[in-house]
Amino acid sequence: MNASHSLGILRRVLGQPGALISVLYLATLVIASLLVGWALPLDPLAQDYANMLKGPSAAHWFGTDELGRDVLARVIYGARTSLLTAAGAVAIAAVIGVPIGLMAGFFGGWRDAVLMRIVDVLLSLPGILFAMAMIAVLGRSQTAALIAVGITGVPTFARIVRAQVLSLRKRDFVTAVEALGGSSTYNMFRTVLPNSWSPILVQVVILSSVAILIEASLAFLGLGIPPPTPSWGEMLRTGKSYLHDSPTYAVFPGLVLTFTILSLDTLGRTLARVLEDRHEAAEPEGTP
Amino acid sequence: MIGFILRRLAQLLPVLLIASTGIWAMIYAVPGDPVAVIVGENATPEQMQAVRARLGLDQPVLVQYLSWLGNALQGDLGLSIQNREPVRDLIAQRIPATIQLGIAATLVGLLIGVPVAVFSALKPNSWVDRSLSGWSALALGVPTFWLGILLILLFAVYLRWLPAASAYVSFFESPWQATVNLLLPALTLGIYVSGIFARFLRASLLGELKADYVRTARSKGLPERDVVGRHVMRNALLPFVTIVGLMMANFIGGTVVTESVFTYPGLGRLLIQAISTRDYPLIQGCILFILLVFVLINLLVDVLYAYIDPRIDYG
Repeated sequence: MNASHSLGILRRVLGQPGALISVLYLATLVIASLLVGWALPLDPLAQDYANMLKGPSAAHWFGTDELGRDVLARVIYGARTSLLTAAGAVAIAAVIGVPIGLMAGFFGGWRDAVLMRIVDVLLSLPGILFAMAMIAVLGRSQTAALIAVGITGVPTFARIVRAQVLSLRKRDFVTAVEALGGSSTYNMFRTVLPNSWSPILVQVVILSSVAILIEASLAFLGLGIPPPTPSWGEMLRTGKSYLHDSPTYAVFPGLVLTFTILSLDTLGRTLARVLEDRHEAAEPEGTP
Repeated sequence: MIGFILRRLAQLLPVLLIASTGIWAMIYAVPGDPVAVIVGENATPEQMQAVRARLGLDQPVLVQYLSWLGNALQGDLGLSIQNREPVRDLIAQRIPATIQLGIAATLVGLLIGVPVAVFSALKPNSWVDRSLSGWSALALGVPTFWLGILLILLFAVYLRWLPAASAYVSFFESPWQATVNLLLPALTLGIYVSGIFARFLRASLLGELKADYVRTARSKGLPERDVVGRHVMRNALLPFVTIVGLMMANFIGGTVVTESVFTYPGLGRLLIQAISTRDYPLIQGCILFILLVFVLINLLVDVLYAYIDPRIDYG
């Protein structure tokens, strides 16, 4: 694909009101989490025992927590944790899952059978349980959370890419590279992979929303990134024990978390629809 | 049919074998010495040796694996480190609670999801359809633990109608108490699955509505209610059974988060407890059990689907 191509797709995605709102929301979140600490005068660690568990006010828009810390500041720092973990986890999932899918689909036969059985094992437990099992082994840490969430995304990439490869495997341009003596590795990574980018891209966006949800769930269960790193799941976990004292404490972090998940999901679905339309529009020329 | 079941079982065996080996090997993947992690920092060498012997870690690896697998096959999952009770009994105590929640949540999910799907499929792309699709997106996008917190805030903190923490009361002993305790967790989980049910059934209904027999039924003057209620629904429900079954399989372990919100004493909370106290035999037992049930329900759903759909050839 070239630059004007991607610009066209971007324009059509942003033409959808839902996707536009999602992008604006996510952009605000990213910018706020980049600015906080130096350009935004918000401190997530400053304690104020005179103002504990207070509701929203002019000084503290989202209220304060059980140590009098500013909830808004912690939510924005939590965005950093969430977005970075999601990005890292999706990267891990793609780096492991994409080659598995490529090899399984490209070679077929026993390699396909073995690789897909491994994927089946990963799918033999619901994602959150698999992540919990990983935490049980690795202990609670930033790296553990990253790996645990990342591994749960591997089957999705492997399956999507495998399906895509199977549909490309017998196409002329792939067999042509084979006939010209291109190596399998070259063929897989330089010919097949570049033609599979659109379903992978859609999965990257959708899986980031899943990764954020799993990371938050782990933190809510007390198995995520250990405190004092602010994270949305951890804030909801603490907020839940102060529902009577400060009802808003557990509301705001959840609101931001939910909007983030919904935005990424909307964006992913819109992207999928736009790419599909484009595909359908282009297809009749090539097929008799 | 028997052949079909056997073939599916044979496909499952390697998956189960690899997965159980993984679960067994878990303890070896723990960074550092797992025994030191379990007994804590202030343990004497004698205490460490005792734990090591109890876990069988002083034996050759192959012996350990085979005896673990052999015991597991006979239903012996070892003793919990925390309170020295058999892991099997600890799990067995929690099963009724999780099953009861799973069934209640499925009922809620069906009660909301099926009408949502039917009303959207009757007028596709209308404003009704669009707002109901919005419902599904919302039901799936809102994290269950946050939804649970919001429900607690409304029904337990403000209205004071329902308890914030849900105890397990068997439905057969006290239907009223069981309902009061289950309502909020079942609603939390049920709203989530209603999104899945609605999306799936809507797609399934829309697919059926395009079929020839629908045109025939309409052209012979059947009212739309009968076309959908008598003809379309029956065919659309078939694949839907699969999804309902898969969701119930998910609930065996997937109620973890909801159980945690409502401090409900199910299997999921047992697993969380086990993980936070690093009780490895209990962790392994829980995961092995959940995996087995999950895989078996999946198989059962496949078989059931083949059984109720006469068109599927499994010869």
